[in-house]
Amino acid sequence: MAQYTLKPDTSFTRELQEAGGENLKRCYQCATCAVACPFAPANAPYPRKEMVWASWGLKDKLMRDADLWLCHNCGNCSDLCPRGARPADTMAAARNMIYKELTEPSIVGKWMSKASGLPFLFFIPAVLWLVVWAIRASYKGHWFPRAADGRIVFGEIFYGDYTIDPIFMITFFGACFILYRGVRKLWSMFKPEGELLVIGPKKSWLCHLVAVLMDEVVTHRKFDDCEDGPITGKGAANRKFGHMVLVYSFAILAFVTAVVAAGHWGGKIIPAIEIHTPMPLTFPVKILANIGALLMLCGLAALTWRRLAQDRANHASGFYDWYLLSIIWLVAVTGILSQCFRLTDALKPAFVTYYFHLVFVWMLFAYLPWSKLGHFVYRTAALVYVRMYGRS
Amino acid sequence: MSNAILVVGGGFAGLTAAIEAAELGHDVYIVEKTPWLGGRVAQLNKYFPKLCPPSCGLEIQFQRIRKNPRIKFFTQAELIGLSGCKGDYTAKVRLAPRRTAAHNVDFSLLASALTGETDSEFDLGLSKRKALYKAMPFAFPDRYVLDARALSKSDMARVAGAKFIEPAEEVREIALNIGAIVVATGWKPYDVTRLTNLGAGSVKNCVSNMQLERLASPFGPTQGKIVRPSDNCAPMNVAFVQCAGSRDQNHLNYCSYICCMATLKQCLYLAEQNPNVGITVYYIDLRAPGRYVNVLEKVKARPNVSFVKGKVADAVQTEGDRVKLTVEDAVRGEKLTLIYDLVVLATGMQPSLAGEKSFLPLPLDEDGFVAGGEEAGIFAAGCARMPLDVTRTAQSGTAAALKAVQTVKGR
Repeated sequence: MAQYTLKPDTSFTRELQEAGGENLKRCYQCATCAVACPFAPANAPYPRKEMVWASWGLKDKLMRDADLWLCHNCGNCSDLCPRGARPADTMAAARNMIYKELTEPSIVGKWMSKASGLPFLFFIPAVLWLVVWAIRASYKGHWFPRAADGRIVFGEIFYGDYTIDPIFMITFFGACFILYRGVRKLWSMFKPEGELLVIGPKKSWLCHLVAVLMDEVVTHRKFDDCEDGPITGKGAANRKFGHMVLVYSFAILAFVTAVVAAGHWGGKIIPAIEIHTPMPLTFPVKILANIGALLMLCGLAALTWRRLAQDRANHASGFYDWYLLSIIWLVAVTGILSQCFRLTDALKPAFVTYYFHLVFVWMLFAYLPWSKLGHFVYRTAALVYVRMYGRS
Repeated sequence: MSNAILVVGGGFAGLTAAIEAAELGHDVYIVEKTPWLGGRVAQLNKYFPKLCPPSCGLEIQFQRIRKNPRIKFFTQAELIGLSGCKGDYTAKVRLAPRRTAAHNVDFSLLASALTGETDSEFDLGLSKRKALYKAMPFAFPDRYVLDARALSKSDMARVAGAKFIEPAEEVREIALNIGAIVVATGWKPYDVTRLTNLGAGSVKNCVSNMQLERLASPFGPTQGKIVRPSDNCAPMNVAFVQCAGSRDQNHLNYCSYICCMATLKQCLYLAEQNPNVGITVYYIDLRAPGRYVNVLEKVKARPNVSFVKGKVADAVQTEGDRVKLTVEDAVRGEKLTLIYDLVVLATGMQPSLAGEKSFLPLPLDEDGFVAGGEEAGIFAAGCARMPLDVTRTAQSGTAAALKAVQTVKGR
């Protein structure tokens, strides 16, 4: 008989515990969690197997596990867990480890993993935008200049063509590139050793991506399906409303940004579609932008309230969770405040708030691959992968 | 000052403690809440270690009580106050009215003529009983009880003129002077309605292990035939759900110790009645302590019994009143959804004192087990202290009696 010696990696277990799975050692493998989860498939269901891997520190197995991403963290398993081992938090902790280690430069992942890294994360964009501000101020001769017509125009300092747009484009495409590499790596990790045979017609990953987006992301179907598990007897607010509102607000704001960018750059070629910022409040794109901002606040409020109201005994919120919620809060609040200050003609507060707005927006996007927000790419990638290979 | 000992609870631990203390020459009072002595053991079909019927062990205890003038027992009695200190306690006891004459009268004819019915506590809701009833044939004291609340209008007229019945009997209170107390308040089956994911008691053919004891008992609701409560048909496949509420911080945060053995025993009941019945036991760990491992081996050797490691976490009613279970076989890593005729929840034991108002000045641990009190001359025995089987309950009853005796010795 073949012998296999298991080498437990206690340091990895400790790392997982620090990343949010602090109770994972309490698990006694009763397998309640695998039943509690309505998504767990009949064959090799999760999260019991992940719990034993975590307990033994089997990093390789855990990191290669596509099931981590099938989990939508509804918390049924933690509610029913007889030991308070919090499998849902352990799954989340394992995902946090992937955010931390999947992509280079790994130093960002380290900073992003705990509160002590925050100053570094903040420092980079803070200096970046301060330098931009200083250069433009020296050019304008004033730290808080007004436009020729006396209005407050943020473009006076943070001029689109040479400062905001190039920096954000580099940031955006840089993040995209890092995410692309992350997804490639993730998929290669998911692939089991040897050949994987798929019987039946195969579709390209693109078809599956469209299916995932239309079937799951747009409808947020799985947030409801999560409720189909056994009755836990514990009240937990469904995240669907908050999450969906937030996702749609992101979509609206992304669309607005794209329209404004197209109007700005396209306007240089086709003057008819040119959009000037700041847009008047009654301009349709501006109306849409403000609707997006308000939706963002609603979604954030719902999700934050849900987290605060959670039963602490069964559900923990860690640094990754609070970082993501906080950074989106900061982006939304500074964005809305900048507009308010601009419209009420409060010159200095307007520029200072707008500066912070830029800092936080940059943090949100530049660090996306290492933050919990990365789930929107990595989870989607994993969902596409499992569709390609028939597991769902 | 008093040499007498009060025993709270007339189950196996209490009876043993009382008899042991009385046979050492002390006056003993037993205070029992229900109308008869015997406690949970009396409800069983058979019990460990010899798998004999409860009458076998209890009959000896009842004999010893009958023959010992030092033991006085009060049934339908509850402790409602305790004052004084170690060596000199005054216990106030409330006696609920029995409403029948103080000697053995056979009311079976009158009882069967009554129309009012209510759920039988003794059969754990599996049958109905009349207002005038005796829960078991070997009941001790061998007396009927008249439950006035269960009387219908016509019953009242019928009972009013009957001989040896006193419908107007009042509640009485008595005071007992004692030196030490043995607390043998025992246990209650964990409330299945709290097991939300296991149907919360609303799934028809999902019974608790104690209910199965009643079904298997020759004096039970089905005269010992194990059938489905919904249609009285014999089940062809049965599942046992171990740790239903035990070893679970949301319910009982400890191992109830007896449920694994109870399930093995019940597998034998089923196999005895129908060798072809398919049985699956779903467990986290099988705990067969000490020599009980022989019983485990015996049951494992049976062809139609299989054991699956994995805790059932979902039970719902499905077509034909069958029960659908979902469980992960943790060894194979497969999630199974299976349908059974009958499902038995191996619910654990919760100490009777848990969540109850008690007049005993006793520290309880977070689960409701007695944790201390010995310095005050109060000694816990049996399942009031920890989950135990009958053998060890008897041992702990003896131990408590010995401690109680030492407390009052020489006064």
